[in-house]
Amino acid sequence: MAWIRFLGALLAVFMTIAPLVSNADAHGDAKHDRGTIGEKCIKDTDWMRRNHMNMLMEKRHVTVREGVRVPAESLLNCKTCHTSREKFCDKCHSYVGVQPDCFECHNYPK
Amino acid sequence: MISEFSTIKGNSSKYLALLAGFGVLLALGAFSFLYVEINGHGATNMTNQVVWGLPHVFAISLLVMASGALNLASMATVFGAKQYKIFRRFSAFLAIALLAGGLAVLVLDLGRPDRMLLTMIHMNFKSMFTWNVFLYSGFVVLCFLYLWSMFQHERYVKLAGSAAFAGRVILTTGTGSIFGVIHAREVFHSAITGPTFVAVSITSGTAMCIMLLVATFHYTGRKLDKSLIHGLRNVLIFFTLLVFYLLVVEKFTKFYSPAFYDVESWILTGPYAPLYWIGVLGMGIALPLAILFNPGMGNSIKGIMWACGAAIIGEVSFVAHVLLAGQSYPFNMFPGWEMSSAFLDGQVAAYSPGILELMLGVGGIGIAGLIYLIGIRFFRLLPQKAEAPEGWKPWSP
Amino acid sequence: MNMDRRSVLGLGGVVAASAMIAPGIHLIAAPERTEASGQSRWAMLVDVNKCDSDCTACTTACRQENNVPTFDDPQRDIHWIRKVELKDKKGKRPSVSLPVLCNHCEHPPCVDVCPTEASFIRKDGIVLVDKHRCIGCRYCMIACPYKARSLVYHATELSENGNADVPIRGKGVVEKCTFCVHLVDQGKKPACVDACQKDGNGAMIFGDLNDGQSEISKRVHEIRTQTMRADLGLNPAVHYQGL
Repeated sequence: MAWIRFLGALLAVFMTIAPLVSNADAHGDAKHDRGTIGEKCIKDTDWMRRNHMNMLMEKRHVTVREGVRVPAESLLNCKTCHTSREKFCDKCHSYVGVQPDCFECHNYPK
Repeated sequence: MISEFSTIKGNSSKYLALLAGFGVLLALGAFSFLYVEINGHGATNMTNQVVWGLPHVFAISLLVMASGALNLASMATVFGAKQYKIFRRFSAFLAIALLAGGLAVLVLDLGRPDRMLLTMIHMNFKSMFTWNVFLYSGFVVLCFLYLWSMFQHERYVKLAGSAAFAGRVILTTGTGSIFGVIHAREVFHSAITGPTFVAVSITSGTAMCIMLLVATFHYTGRKLDKSLIHGLRNVLIFFTLLVFYLLVVEKFTKFYSPAFYDVESWILTGPYAPLYWIGVLGMGIALPLAILFNPGMGNSIKGIMWACGAAIIGEVSFVAHVLLAGQSYPFNMFPGWEMSSAFLDGQVAAYSPGILELMLGVGGIGIAGLIYLIGIRFFRLLPQKAEAPEGWKPWSP
Repeated sequence: MNMDRRSVLGLGGVVAASAMIAPGIHLIAAPERTEASGQSRWAMLVDVNKCDSDCTACTTACRQENNVPTFDDPQRDIHWIRKVELKDKKGKRPSVSLPVLCNHCEHPPCVDVCPTEASFIRKDGIVLVDKHRCIGCRYCMIACPYKARSLVYHATELSENGNADVPIRGKGVVEKCTFCVHLVDQGKKPACVDACQKDGNGAMIFGDLNDGQSEISKRVHEIRTQTMRADLGLNPAVHYQGL
């Protein structure tokens, strides 16, 4: 039954390596080059992943219409941590096929 | 009752040619829309002085005409003119067709047509535009209910027809008020603008009904009693006189106030004076009245058709004059001073319509024409023969 | 902020917990939060006697601050503020030069006619266009008696020496002077006023009309000033002195 043990070992090795390999592609943590600096954004990373669009819409509304300004959370500050719009925003947006037009007017270099 | 109305056959080469013709107009409009959408309004000839140009002239003319087209049905349902009962379906359907054409142009000329749905999400009930969103869609719904009751439930006709009539009066007042409520523009601001739009809508709508009835009955080989057209001619005469009356009252009131001397003399002698004298007064009022009061031409179908054509040109001229002259006249921000600036303050705006604007405008006509042609092909809108009731004889010159 | 409420309602306990940790970050990174106040009424006063017809400091500064482009097409150029020359129709009074900009009316007709509430008036009296919401119908341009608004006819790009802090334009929407709301919210003056005082002749001042101690409040209430088209009853925030 040596071959079964061999297969088992192979599987174990594969299961260890696979996440590392696939992480390098799309779902990597902050360690990988996704054009970001720092540990997390103004809220938890998971939360931001799911809700950044709603948060930006909400902020847009209260900033434009009620004049609420929180400089540290300003859209102008995104680029200080998310240094690459191409790697941070565009990559995922084009993967899921959404085309937000924020940066047609707001300045956020590529 | 059912046998009284029938669809047209719609297999003649003329019908198909007409379909193709309106299809081409629609295609021109679609092309213009896409081109402007991609390249921006810089591709048109509209400016920051004249922000509403030729597309709006087409759109508002069609919208005004649409509510007027319902008048034929209203006369039968609301005012008991039984002789026009056979035209009710035609009239209500034509109103929807024209409205759809006009509305399409209006919507497709927005700077950001992709955001159209925002008008449904955020509403400002102080805006005439928000009201018009409701009035236009409401008018279509009322016309549908009216048609539906005519087809299926005769007992609701009076109710639905009266509602549609009220709707059309409010609708056209609303359209006129887009301009009438604007205090900033001396040419626009007037309580009588709304009522004048209503009167103009009835002249142009009636004219459109006459022309289409004569043409459709002729080409489908159906019998159309001449005295019915004579009756509609009298309607056209009456409402043309009403338009004239309203125009005179407006001019009289404005000229009474020295504050309006400048702008009113500009209207009567300035660059848009030809549009006013020849278009609004000549084509819209003098020519139709001269033809229709003439015992020879006023009684011949050909003469009436010419008068109707002139009345429609008059309506378009009226809308174009209100819109273009109203926007071109410079603001008078500092009374007693002559203004000049890099933003062309104090100057009469120069505007000549561009080809893309014309294409978008005729696209609206294409939509209205296609809806009408397809409608008479698939719905029993037209009577097989139209005869005046016995003993009914309209006045004749 | 509503976000917290929304996340608790919508996303369950785990996310809610992280959202509750999150405000800790705010405290460290951004203690500062400002909001338009209903107590203020921002206004401008232009001393016409001091405004020189050769001086374009205000218009130049506005274009620079707000990235307002020129298209070399006078019919379609965007003007947030412009210099207007006035000549007496009877030729008796000397000619006058003055800036004209959005008057930030108390009862703005542009806001009344806007179908989507894209044009709106802030609590502090600044009239703005929410360019995310504007559908480009141009009704506001019809309704404004001061010709303060422009439609963006062409797409534009941020120029090399442009101001990256202010958005560039969206094609097909209407825009106008914002009273440099991004500066006012930081406690600064609009760019035109700043430039007029620094490079121009100091004809323009800016401040809170409701603040009895402000210079503009004192002058507007003590000196005879006038507004444009006062007959329309709009109560503009731009006052002119010496006309």
